[in-house]
Amino acid sequence: MSRYDLNVLLYRLKKDRAFRERFRSDPAAAVRAADLTDEEREAFVRWDPRRLNELGGSLHLVLSIPDLGAH
Amino acid sequence: MGRIVYAAAMSHVLHPPYYEKNVGPHGKRMVEELIAVVGDMGRELAARRPDALVVVADDHLNVFSFDAVPAMCVRIGRSVSRMAQEGAIEFDRALDGLAERYPVHEELAHRILEEGLEAGFDFAASWSAPLDHAFLSPLTALHGGRPMPPLVPFWVNCFVAPLPSARRCFAAGQHIARVIANGPWNVGVIATGGLSHFPELSMARVGESDPEFDRRVVGWMERGEHASLTALTAKELHATGSHELLNWMVLLGAVAPARARVRFFGEMGRIDLAALEWLLADPQGGHE
Repeated sequence: MSRYDLNVLLYRLKKDRAFRERFRSDPAAAVRAADLTDEEREAFVRWDPRRLNELGGSLHLVLSIPDLGAH
Repeated sequence: MGRIVYAAAMSHVLHPPYYEKNVGPHGKRMVEELIAVVGDMGRELAARRPDALVVVADDHLNVFSFDAVPAMCVRIGRSVSRMAQEGAIEFDRALDGLAERYPVHEELAHRILEEGLEAGFDFAASWSAPLDHAFLSPLTALHGGRPMPPLVPFWVNCFVAPLPSARRCFAAGQHIARVIANGPWNVGVIATGGLSHFPELSMARVGESDPEFDRRVVGWMERGEHASLTALTAKELHATGSHELLNWMVLLGAVAPARARVRFFGEMGRIDLAALEWLLADPQGGHE
């Protein structure tokens, strides 16, 4: 269970523009160091907000990441 | 002796473009009607000349992160800033163009915090947390162009489980009312958020609301049936998407046993919108 790490990444994506740009250009590299399950990592790399939410990602984070928000 | 001179609870995304995009023209129209009602309520509030305004709202993972989420937090310090969010999506865009800094009523904030800790409420304190739309969208609609009285921002964790109980939030409101009664100030109390939306905080269910539940809780407030409200469980609040009612519970504890007057109730589909007020003391000084 890495709900914490998953949400820390979502929070960084919302708040840290440089990280968000790195993620957009190479999502696998941007999340490589994070302590995630394979399923969580895949949801980030494919950018599947609904799956991230099902895996414990805060709804308000997945909905509100600039340019990636799922609203 | 201090008094709560006015209290109101209302939805907090008072931003027509958000509803236009996510609901359509009828959503935009409905929120515009609500904004007009909230403007009238703001004139009622201003007529009662509050020295301070306690504002109870929640954070949307804007201010606090998963590193630490306080169950309840009092903002202290001399002033508080508006949250800055570069490239914000619609509900954060409700902040665009608003003033960047707002005064804090330091003394009332400290009394709520310090006397709370003495009384067994382990409130967190923040010197730096900024305000997101949950505070500033309704405050702006209430005040229009008038200056705001000094604020006491008070956060309740409505979204990162486990949440404080409805009963505990109500008790925190009773504490705030005691502090106000023991002080010299006339105070307004505002709670924001809701009604039901985002059930189970599940993206798959975004767009659903529970109007039957909303009608029931608003009816309880109109009739002053506070025991029914504080008996709501975390499971019920989560299932219906009524997490933000926890903010309203703090207000209810502060105003009980007063009954609400419903100024606006609209069933929109994605979310129901409401604005309620509690008239606790008339502007000339007598209690109603």
